[in-house]
Amino acid sequence: MFFWQDPQFGDKMITLMAALILVLQIIMVAQHWLVTIIRVFAAQSFLLACIAATIAYFNDAPHIYAVAVLTLLLKAIILPVVLTRLLARVDIRREVEPFINMPISIIISGMLTLMAYVVAESFQRPDEAAGAASLGHNTLAVAISLFLIGFFMMTNRRKALTQVLALLSLENGVFLAAISLTYGVPLVVELGIFFDLLIAVLVLAILVYRIRATFDSMDVSRLSRLRG
Amino acid sequence: MILVALLLAPLLASGLTGLLRGRRAMEAIHLVSAATMFGLSVELAAQVLREGGVSWGDGFLHADHFSALVAVLTAFVYLVSAPYAVGYFRHDVAGHAFEQNGAGPPAEKKLLQYYVLAPLFGFSMFLVVLANNLGVMWVAVEGTTLASIFLVTFYGRPTSLEAAWKYAMIGSVGLSMALFGTILTYYSAYQVSGVETLSALNWSTLANSAAQFDKNVMQLAFILVLLGYGTKAGLAPMHTWKPDAYGEAPVPAAVLMAAAMLNCAIYALARFYVLAVHCLGPSFPSRLLILFGLLSMAVAVPFILVQRSHRRLLAYSSIDHGGIMVLGLGFGGALGALGMLLHMTFHSITKPLLFFCSGNAQQHLGTDSLKKNPGGLIHSLPVSAPMFLLAALAVTGTPPFSLFQSEFTILRAGFAGRHTGAAILFVAFLVAIFCGFFFHIAHLVLGPANGRPRGEDSRWKSYPVLGLAFVVIVLGFWLPAPLFALVEGAARVLEVRP
Repeated sequence: MFFWQDPQFGDKMITLMAALILVLQIIMVAQHWLVTIIRVFAAQSFLLACIAATIAYFNDAPHIYAVAVLTLLLKAIILPVVLTRLLARVDIRREVEPFINMPISIIISGMLTLMAYVVAESFQRPDEAAGAASLGHNTLAVAISLFLIGFFMMTNRRKALTQVLALLSLENGVFLAAISLTYGVPLVVELGIFFDLLIAVLVLAILVYRIRATFDSMDVSRLSRLRG
Repeated sequence: MILVALLLAPLLASGLTGLLRGRRAMEAIHLVSAATMFGLSVELAAQVLREGGVSWGDGFLHADHFSALVAVLTAFVYLVSAPYAVGYFRHDVAGHAFEQNGAGPPAEKKLLQYYVLAPLFGFSMFLVVLANNLGVMWVAVEGTTLASIFLVTFYGRPTSLEAAWKYAMIGSVGLSMALFGTILTYYSAYQVSGVETLSALNWSTLANSAAQFDKNVMQLAFILVLLGYGTKAGLAPMHTWKPDAYGEAPVPAAVLMAAAMLNCAIYALARFYVLAVHCLGPSFPSRLLILFGLLSMAVAVPFILVQRSHRRLLAYSSIDHGGIMVLGLGFGGALGALGMLLHMTFHSITKPLLFFCSGNAQQHLGTDSLKKNPGGLIHSLPVSAPMFLLAALAVTGTPPFSLFQSEFTILRAGFAGRHTGAAILFVAFLVAIFCGFFFHIAHLVLGPANGRPRGEDSRWKSYPVLGLAFVVIVLGFWLPAPLFALVEGAARVLEVRP
């Protein structure tokens, strides 16, 4: 048996890629430059598409290939291009200092990852050595970490565009959970989710642009006139 | 077929509006489509009452009593908001409300924006209640957010951008939690059935097999879904977008969000609640719902008592009512579900009246501030102002209005379910909210005349108020038998047998 037919090898590849995705997420937390954050997000989405393709290959689930291709097209190519162009139009390159500084942010991200592993642990059942659950274990923990770190990043950053990227990486976490736990949700639902995501990013891009034009800044901590 | 027709009608209306673009044509399409949707939803309810359930496309779309009830309520809110929207926007166009500092997009373009987006908003709400598949339901709920963001930014003020940003971000994070919860639910179903088909996420399938789901997974899934759809329903502490969005959106859009979209979010939550109860037993999900319900009411109290703007006052009232519905659902038993559904019905009929009066007052005074006005609105707005007072009494659950009946039913459910502490808090919050509401609205409406010119300029704006007030008063004394049959059927869907 060749190594590319060995499911063990597939599992290891998936774990490796999931680990890389987590590393990219933490890089995103530590990054000031908006262009770099967009590129890191694109790389993360690319790895996500690779995981989907690997799962499709080792489990003979052809419909997941469609999901992989869609992820690649939408999240790794179209959305980063849209956001990069938006960045050029609003002409802001660097994030101002976040509410919590970078080193502490990274420590917090680490703690969130630990928490995610604890939560994911409760899903592990000893009687199921193989199958979706064992595959799910590591990747599910990574998915929950992506979700938590994305959430933290959203609250920690001031620029509207960074918040959109944090939201997208959080969505990546949900997506990773979907493909690792259940080999993806039914294709119709998946298509609907992709469609919503595309529209959401376009809508948010318009909002970001208008906030920039109106407030002469993309700093959402200035959006504080409505109270009580 | 009726299900497809109900979904196609708003899409068609949106498309036609986009093609024709004339002001008269847009208004006509809006009115006709609203009437059509209401007719279709009533026909759907009649079919559901006759046959017990309507399906289309191998169960892809499915309507039981609960879906039919929420569809009728959505269509009703849409129906009453349509003529009001015509009058409201005509007033805006005449008063040059769209022009910021002399510049801004032409009025026709703004009208086009509303008349195209509102039917799309309606479409997503109908899809929420008609989709059987929980994944498709999620897609539709997200669709309601996307369709309504640009209704919040409608006036293009800096504050509307701020409101829309909060709405979009908080809403999206909430909904990704709901998606996570949906996926975990799917995962637990997947472990039971082992097959991956579209129907595996169908609510009707899941409800039958929910008892065998993995309890750990389902617990986490329910918490995530509660947080997610709770954000959409504006339950505290995820409610912060609500006063901003309701205060900034034009009144017809705010009505759709406060009276119709709230129902859709609660609808989605209730569907998962039933699954969670089947799997985990009633105590865990009920306790969570009671907690969030009481918290929402508690948060609403201080903000209602010291509110400065009557538009935001209504938003806090909506947070309060979302809390009451969730509380009713949490109390459980036969009475809890019934009370919650009655409350949903009466709230969707009373809330638009309150919003219309508030909108008329705002357009008449040029501000929605409660502090800057000298009162005496009753002299310059002889129709809207007294109705504003009536609506305020109705919405705070004063007898003989119908919301009193539903709140009383929920209270009985609380005592019947031995949630005595929660029931007592419920009454305390209701009383506090009544005081705050009545103080503010009475202050605004009553008082000596102060020489303002007479308002009530448009029939389009006053007739919906009068018509709706009539319905609200009648409903206090007489609930039509078919409507009650529908509510009872829906309560059976949600009822939790111990």
